[in-house]
Amino acid sequence: MNSIEEFNKKQRPGDYYIKLNSELVKLNEKLNIFNTISQENISSGFLFSVKDNICVKNVETTASSKILKGYFPPFNATVVERMKNNGFSFLGKTNMDEFGFGSFGINSEHIAKNPFDERYVTGGSSSGAAAATAILKYHIAIAESTGGSISTPAAFCGVVGFTPTYGSISRYGLIDYSNSLDKIGIMARKSEDIKYVYEKIRGPDSHDTTCVDKKCTDTDKKKIILIDQLITGLDVEIEKEFLLFVKKLENLGYTIEHRSLPFIDKAIPSYYIIAMAEASTNLAKYTGFKYGLKNNDFSQQYNTFFTNARENLGPEAKRRVVLGTFVRSASVKNLYYSKALKVRSLLINELNKILADGFILSPVMPIKTPRFEDTNKLSPLEVYKTDMLTIPPNLCGFPHISFPYSYLHGMPLGAQLVTKHWNDTAIIDFVSKWELSFNYDFKYNLGVLR
Amino acid sequence: MKIGLEVHAGLPTKTKLFCRCTNHSKEPNTAICPTCTGMPGSKPVLNNSALKIAFSISKALNCSSSKTIYFERKVYFYPDLPKSFQITQKECPIGSNGFILLGDKKIRIRRVQLEEDPAKILREDGYTLIDYNRSGRPLVEIVTEPDIQTEEDLRMFITELKSILYYLDVDVEQEIKADLNISLSEIRVEVKNITGTKNIIDAARYEIQRQEKLINENIPIEKETRSYNEAKMATISSREKESDEEYGFIFDSDLTVYDISKIKAIKPIYASSMAKEYSQKYGVNESQILEAIQFNKNSLGFIERFEKNYKLKNILNSISLLQRYGSKNDVETLEKVIKIIEQGHYPDQKDIQAIESGKEITINIKVANTQEIDKEIRSMIDGNKNLLKESATNKKALNFIIGNIAKKLKVNPRLVSERLESLLSSEHKVQ
Amino acid sequence: MEDKEFNRLLKICRIKLNENEYSSIKNDVEEIINYFDSLKSVKTDETTEAFHPILIPEKTAEDIPEEFDDIPAILKNTKTYRFYVVGPEL
Repeated sequence: MNSIEEFNKKQRPGDYYIKLNSELVKLNEKLNIFNTISQENISSGFLFSVKDNICVKNVETTASSKILKGYFPPFNATVVERMKNNGFSFLGKTNMDEFGFGSFGINSEHIAKNPFDERYVTGGSSSGAAAATAILKYHIAIAESTGGSISTPAAFCGVVGFTPTYGSISRYGLIDYSNSLDKIGIMARKSEDIKYVYEKIRGPDSHDTTCVDKKCTDTDKKKIILIDQLITGLDVEIEKEFLLFVKKLENLGYTIEHRSLPFIDKAIPSYYIIAMAEASTNLAKYTGFKYGLKNNDFSQQYNTFFTNARENLGPEAKRRVVLGTFVRSASVKNLYYSKALKVRSLLINELNKILADGFILSPVMPIKTPRFEDTNKLSPLEVYKTDMLTIPPNLCGFPHISFPYSYLHGMPLGAQLVTKHWNDTAIIDFVSKWELSFNYDFKYNLGVLR
Repeated sequence: MKIGLEVHAGLPTKTKLFCRCTNHSKEPNTAICPTCTGMPGSKPVLNNSALKIAFSISKALNCSSSKTIYFERKVYFYPDLPKSFQITQKECPIGSNGFILLGDKKIRIRRVQLEEDPAKILREDGYTLIDYNRSGRPLVEIVTEPDIQTEEDLRMFITELKSILYYLDVDVEQEIKADLNISLSEIRVEVKNITGTKNIIDAARYEIQRQEKLINENIPIEKETRSYNEAKMATISSREKESDEEYGFIFDSDLTVYDISKIKAIKPIYASSMAKEYSQKYGVNESQILEAIQFNKNSLGFIERFEKNYKLKNILNSISLLQRYGSKNDVETLEKVIKIIEQGHYPDQKDIQAIESGKEITINIKVANTQEIDKEIRSMIDGNKNLLKESATNKKALNFIIGNIAKKLKVNPRLVSERLESLLSSEHKVQ
Repeated sequence: MEDKEFNRLLKICRIKLNENEYSSIKNDVEEIINYFDSLKSVKTDETTEAFHPILIPEKTAEDIPEEFDDIPAILKNTKTYRFYVVGPEL
């Protein structure tokens, strides 16, 4: 029996949650995990938090952007509706990189800190979702990934992060970053909780054209494929730890196979071109008068009015809007935007061939969890390149799961397992088996029953 | 001279193009939802009826279509555009390479695309007021090749297009919106955002004259975008708008690719070619038939129903009588009127009202025979000898006599006219 | 990239940069576009564009009106005047 069902069977006294709430508010002041903590008196049910780019009716939803301050969605995202209908209680909105633009969680007004060690980043963009999962005992985080925004923070915060096949969970109510890449996913402390929630929230939705009605398969359980290009150029300690983990898997009975896919590095430019092109259209709507932050001087001519309002976008958002506008300009569209879509097509074909034979395994990040001061040394392009392992499955819509496989200098290390489209539950089951021989550690366990 | 046209027409759906808000609302901002106001988190879902109607329009305009279509985002900033992009079609429109026939002339249709309408915006002093009821309503944009060569062709094209759209249930009472491009030389001038048929023609006329004048004076014409000022009845140079380079069209991946090959298009009706056919078949004036059916489905239905039983001329007269005097427009009433006319009588307003209220009409109409008509004609002629002299040269005077007698006796004017003709010719012989 | 071209881009997307942002973002943009140019080496002549990572089957809605259940909540996000939404001057 999984822990959510177990939990829901027992009676819960209401004052237990009030206690939790005060503990949480205090810790949040230190770690900046939540943008909003629900003021509702929670009296029953397993808790869930929602990444701040997912709409909860009448709860301020900002995608951690200043430009969306004061946006109160008039509707619930489908995923929120389904969580509530399945007895889960809404706890709050989690912090993130503005609009999902970031790998470390640092592109936010109040930067979330890693619960394992506050000097370290949480990873992004679902920074608060991962950190919340790392501090709360009975909690599910609804997160979202465009290019690695679930895998990376899950790895840095030592939790399990699952990104399903593109189109399997409705995006209705998700504030768009890149419509052909965005995927709502789940973080938890145990893979079986993810499986339980995934079954409840997936499936078709009349409000989202791209949400697909399709059964999951559950195959390819024994073969692990390592792609050479994805395990070279790693941090030395990461490489060493990862190879030890592979050895462990071999001992557990998995077959290990090596493959090569030389142009997989082209996934990064292809991804960023598509993501930025789409983002630059999605962010065009923020013009300072319909929702969010208001420019109240209506006598300004509209172009001036809009430009002034859009000054409230953060630097990374501005960078991506400019780049995205460039790559889809008519005169260069074929060189960038269209080309990137074709490269995506090639990569899907090539990866499909490999995934037909087994799971692809890699570390989540080629680097160790950085401290805040380390991130300042990196240029935006260098940051983009750290996504080299999370981008291929995200670009191609393949389901993937990030999970802790070891601890190094007191910080968790995460691995990422990828499978073919719609084989989602197979990778969750893989992690469940791994959890039989490996215990996850947490520094905080807020909400533990007395 | 080359004139090309981009016409926007609203589609007769119940709901908007990408959400289920009603298409028919009055009070501002009462037919809105997160999708058509562009709230963050909302998503579009395509209206299948809009797809079918747009496809039918493209087929009616003889367009060819690819197997699948998709939508793109056209990005530009304006307060009436809630997402700052319009969902429209660029690479893969619903139809292309069609044509409309104007008699022997062929006006080619370059493309037909399906897209969403922006919101309605009212300009105020120091701010604007926006009504999102219109935002997201389905439109087709119909783009012609520059095949229109005269003002008269332009007028005919618009009327013919409107008639085709009318028969596909498009509300043509609503003013159509259009962009014109006009070139008398090699240089193309665009006139944007003109509302209403009259304004389109006036704008074209002004622009033609303006360009002619420039050519005559040897002043080079500038390639530019102009707007039409209704009050001044003139086109005015407007600041250069964005081009495709700036719009940066990309696939809208909130939507997908749609197979249109299996859609059954609604059968088009071409009133002008039907008028021609009827005219040839029954020897009735073509324009009279066209006038009756160009924007009137009922009339066409009546003709189709009765053409085998009654004379087309009488059917048309009955239709116009009913339109003038009647309040009902049903088959039964019409048939009663036709029958009366077929008997040689010509009902007036009172008679029509009597027929409609179900009274026995034969009581109200005196049976007129030729002798009675002849008697009336004679007394009219006897009373006014000058009139007869005039009548030889003055057709108006003749019609006046015919009208008066027909009215008095409640008979078909044609009958009076026939009698008058034969009487006059015998008079002439006597003299 | 010429300043003129960069400024044109900024104008199209209605983005204003202060002096500090200008040079750093312009630098980043140039560096990143150079990196994007690496895609040129991939042969894609016989490949079609993947608009989505998976095949999205067609989904359309029936043409049946459905009133949104909380229109006041939409308008509460805006400034309104006599039920109109107030916007900037044209």
